[in-house]
Amino acid sequence: MTWTDFPYVSYSAMICWAGGTLLGLLSARARVLKISGMALMIAGTGIMTVFLVLFWMELDRPPLRTLGETRLWYATLIPLVGFLVEYRWKIAWLKYYCVAMASFFLFINILFPDVYDKTLMPALQSGWFVPHVVVYLVGYVLLAASSLAAWHNLYRRSKSFDELGESLSHYLALLGFVFLTFGLVFGALWAKEAWGHYWTWDPKETWALIAWLVYLGYMHANSAKVDKSLLQWYLALAFFVLLVSWFGVNYLPSAQDSVHTYQTG
Amino acid sequence: MKRKTIVVKTEMMQSPDSWSFREGAWLSAALVLVGIVLEVTGGEGGVPFPSWPMNLVILLLLVVNIVLAGLLLRDNPVVRWLGGIPLGLCLILSIAALSLVGGVLPQTKGAGPLWAGAMGLDSVFSSWPFALTVFFFLVNLGLSLVWKTVPFKVSNLQFVLFHAGFWIALACGLAGATDLQRVIIPLYEGRSTDRAWTPADKTMIGLPFSLYLKDFEMLEYSPRLALYDQTHERFIPHKAGVTDDMRQGLEVSWENVEVKVERYLENAIFKEGQAEPAPAGTKDALPWAYLSGTYEGKSLLGWVSTGSPFIKPSFIGHGDKLIVLLPGSPKKYRSEITVMLDGTEEGRSAALEVNRPLSVKGWNLYQMGYDEKAGRWSELSLVEGVKDPWLPMVYLGFFMILAGNTLFFWKGIRKK
Repeated sequence: MTWTDFPYVSYSAMICWAGGTLLGLLSARARVLKISGMALMIAGTGIMTVFLVLFWMELDRPPLRTLGETRLWYATLIPLVGFLVEYRWKIAWLKYYCVAMASFFLFINILFPDVYDKTLMPALQSGWFVPHVVVYLVGYVLLAASSLAAWHNLYRRSKSFDELGESLSHYLALLGFVFLTFGLVFGALWAKEAWGHYWTWDPKETWALIAWLVYLGYMHANSAKVDKSLLQWYLALAFFVLLVSWFGVNYLPSAQDSVHTYQTG
Repeated sequence: MKRKTIVVKTEMMQSPDSWSFREGAWLSAALVLVGIVLEVTGGEGGVPFPSWPMNLVILLLLVVNIVLAGLLLRDNPVVRWLGGIPLGLCLILSIAALSLVGGVLPQTKGAGPLWAGAMGLDSVFSSWPFALTVFFFLVNLGLSLVWKTVPFKVSNLQFVLFHAGFWIALACGLAGATDLQRVIIPLYEGRSTDRAWTPADKTMIGLPFSLYLKDFEMLEYSPRLALYDQTHERFIPHKAGVTDDMRQGLEVSWENVEVKVERYLENAIFKEGQAEPAPAGTKDALPWAYLSGTYEGKSLLGWVSTGSPFIKPSFIGHGDKLIVLLPGSPKKYRSEITVMLDGTEEGRSAALEVNRPLSVKGWNLYQMGYDEKAGRWSELSLVEGVKDPWLPMVYLGFFMILAGNTLFFWKGIRKK
């Protein structure tokens, strides 16, 4: 399976997610609807997972090099966060936001198709490649989910106070921050092996640091008992900084000297 | 009248007991402003910082002062504020904001307008505003660490590991930057050298060992067929957007052009006077492909090849369009070297590869580059040598952060 099959695969996944969402929202009284809705949701993510595995095998290298490839992982992982949150905290609404966001990123990939390219530059041929990028992607999806939960909370706040929802966005941010920290330090250790120094203020490194500092700031604002609705705003907006460090950085003037350019085509 | 004056006074100068975010924000802003003034008036030099052993002395003095202030002035409101979360948060966001400037503007000296250079905007991370902010951040972080460590409680372990790790990595990384040496060692096949080039101050230095390059070798990915537009000097992407490995039977198409690979020889030599290239295993062998196809309805047939520094590339031309075979991108490159230490005749053989550095006498050696014009025929290998005596301390910090982070993770998933 390659990018040629991708549109069919992603439309199938999106149809499953849309069906699952519909059934889930209608399931207030009927348990059978709820279960079949959940099954459809999981099927959608299952389709993406199978595609990812087959794509990896076809490419002969981890599909983690280009932005399109990372969006693929993102779209596969973020619904999983929604499912795990429902399993762990019995909060059902997060998964609908998660599949919506996953579909959004799949759409970007359909609109801007990647070139099918098996090459992997020597700098990326390292045992650090998969852990560094996967840890970051897990961090990104947790923080995206945290931001979605925060937007939901801000919307609900105008009507009623939802303590469970607020601690949800907090714990997702906490876990996401843990993964960002792992990603940042793994990246530094890898940079030492590949480029000779653990930190060179490359634009991608700088933006990874900015994103990390922003969430470090959140952790401290939370400890300092800053006003709760302010904290929800913080989490809701902080995610945009992550987006810059994920792909926005490529469009900045500073990107001209970056060594983190792995895009072709 | 008198009463009014008193009110103004209390607003302006609150007792340090109630200092919090507002004062933290003022201090952070003041540090940046003072830094900019120093940058504008101080000239080109940047922030001066001594190298070994004075950097260690300064760092130890900082530690001693923070520990003493933390322990002896624990109840002083100003010290409490200096080591408190509100100031910490303001400084974190201030560092983030400074990094934002450095993350948006190109960080090459002289890259931007003059006024930006004068304010240090083209070298944010070695500028005064950054240095002052980080200094106060280290004080803030250090004080909070002293308070969480004395008296020590097991429940503080995660805090101490994470914060102390960060302090050590940041302080040692910055203070040790003046002892960091990065040099380029150009190696030519069949020759040895013990000299290295320092790009930072454009000088040559001697190394405590010498390196002999036995062989530089490079593997490439499969070459690719491409259509080149001579008028607009650009490559035209294929219709399918698919880049597949070169092989017999491969079909590629562009608008108006369709091509099929009839034969593909990965390594061959096309000798003059011969009808077609013959497979060869020598170093000057090249990939050759025999193509058939159509161009705007007319049929085409012929051999294409990537060429090398010694042999011109072969292509099929039609009007202003050329069908060419592009060399594949580098897959692996490595230098077979012999390392000779002082006085020893017999050397140690080793291979240098990207992501596989070698450690010799306190220097780490990295496969850095080669003569890119010559590609896989390069006889030059560029090796980077890095000496960073502070690295063990920075790594100690990193591993403490990772340990603290792991504890934080457990805490995070255990909580309901």
